[in-house]
Amino acid sequence: MKTIIIPILTLTFIFILMSFQTGNILCNAKEMKEKASALLDPYKYDSSEMTKILYKTKESVKEVEVPLFIGEKYRFVFEMEALPKHVEVQIYNKDKTSKNRKLLFSSKESASDKKEFQFDVTRVRTVYVDYIVPQAEAGAYTGCAVFMLGYRLK
Amino acid sequence: MTIKLLAIPLIAALPVFFSCGTNSEDQKNQLAEEPDSTVNMPDIALAAATDDNDVSYNLPSPLQIAYVFKKSGAGFISTLPNNKANTTKYNTSNYKKAVNFGIYSADLAYCLFNKKYQESKEYLKACKDIGSYLGLDKAFESENMAQRFDKNISNDDSLIKLVSSVQMKTDIMFEENKQKHIKVLAIAGAWTESLYIACEIYTKDKNKKIQASLLEQLLLSEPIIKALKSNKNTEVEVPALIASIEKINNEFNMIPAISSAVEKDEEIDSNTISITDNEMRLMIESIKALRAEMIK
Repeated sequence: MKTIIIPILTLTFIFILMSFQTGNILCNAKEMKEKASALLDPYKYDSSEMTKILYKTKESVKEVEVPLFIGEKYRFVFEMEALPKHVEVQIYNKDKTSKNRKLLFSSKESASDKKEFQFDVTRVRTVYVDYIVPQAEAGAYTGCAVFMLGYRLK
Repeated sequence: MTIKLLAIPLIAALPVFFSCGTNSEDQKNQLAEEPDSTVNMPDIALAAATDDNDVSYNLPSPLQIAYVFKKSGAGFISTLPNNKANTTKYNTSNYKKAVNFGIYSADLAYCLFNKKYQESKEYLKACKDIGSYLGLDKAFESENMAQRFDKNISNDDSLIKLVSSVQMKTDIMFEENKQKHIKVLAIAGAWTESLYIACEIYTKDKNKKIQASLLEQLLLSEPIIKALKSNKNTEVEVPALIASIEKINNEFNMIPAISSAVEKDEEIDSNTISITDNEMRLMIESIKALRAEMIK
C-alpha cells in the first residue's frame, strides 16, 4: 500500500509546486471565445486571436495587426477575464513603431473594471490592437486576452 | 525504504523542472537549428515561438473574403473551385493538408454566397474530411452539422451563421491544438483560392468592379507574408510559399499608382487605380502558378 501512496503524494506535491512556479492563469480558448462571441451579434464571426500576456519588469506592448476591407462595418470584442492584472487596450491606425499614429479607441474610456467590451469601426484598412501590459515582477504573472472580430452583412 | 520510494518520483520529475526553466529564446534558438521540423516536432515549441512574438496577425476568414468579393457582382462558375474528390490526395504533409483545407474553405464560401447550397454542403464535407487529417474533427461533429445544413438549406442567414460557427470552432481547435502556424497556412490557401477565382472571372469579363475587388484582396498579401514569416521555421515548405507570395506582392507594388500611394503614405483606392493589361497579366500568372502548386 505504502509503495503506491508515497509516490502519488509526492507527484501531487510536485504538481502543486509547479502551479505556483509561474502564477499562470488558465487560458481556456473555448470558454473565452464563446463568451466573446455573445457580444458579437448582429455581426457575423470573422476571426479571433488569443494573445498570451507576460507581465515584465517594465511596461510592455503586445500588438495584433488586423487587416480589414475598407468600407465594411466591423465590431471588435475583447474578453479580458484571464488576466491577473489590468491591461489597457488601445486601437491605432498605424503600428507601434510609427510616430504619427492616431488613437481610435482606448479601453480606459470605456470602463477600467470591465472584463468584456466592444468597439465598432468602418472605413479603415488596417488597425493595430495594442495591449498595454503594466510592469510586474518578472515571470510572476501570465495571462491571456481574447480579441474577436465580427463583420456586418448588408 | 521510504527515502528510496520518495527519490524515484522526484528524480523522474527533475526534467519537468528543468524544462519549465527553459526560456522562449532557448526555444526559438532550438527551432532555428532545426529547419526540418515537420509533423513530428512538438507543437508546444512551435506555439511558444509564435506566442512570444510582440506582434501577431489576425487575418480575415475565407467567408469574409468571399462576401466582399461577391459584392463586386461576380457570378458563379462551377468549374473554378477545386475538385471535391481530391481530399485524400492531400493527406501528406502538414503544408498540403493546411493550404488545401483553406482552399476548400474558400470554395465553400464562394458557393455559399452564390446560393449554391448543394455545392456548399459538398464543400463543407470536403472541409470536414481534410479537417480530420488536421485533428479538427470536433469542430465539424459537434452539432449534427449535416442535418442542420439540410434543415436551413433555403435560409441564407442561418447557413452563413452555421458556417461562421464552424469557422469559430475551427479557430478554437487550432488554438487548443497549438496549431496557430497551420491556421496561417490555411488562410494563405484560402486567400490564394479566392484570388484565383477572382482572376478567372476578371479574365473572362474584364469587369472594373471585379478588378477593384481583386486589388483589395491583393492588399492582404503583406500581412499574410508577415504572419508566415513569424512561423517560417514550422514547416519546410513555408519559405517557398513566402517567396511565391512576395513575388505577387512585388508585382502589385510595382504598379505605378500603388507605388506612388505607398511612397506618399496615401490610402489606395482600388476603384480608381489605373492598371495596364500587362501588369494584370503578370499578377494573374503568378497567382495561377501558386494555386496550381498548392492543389497538385
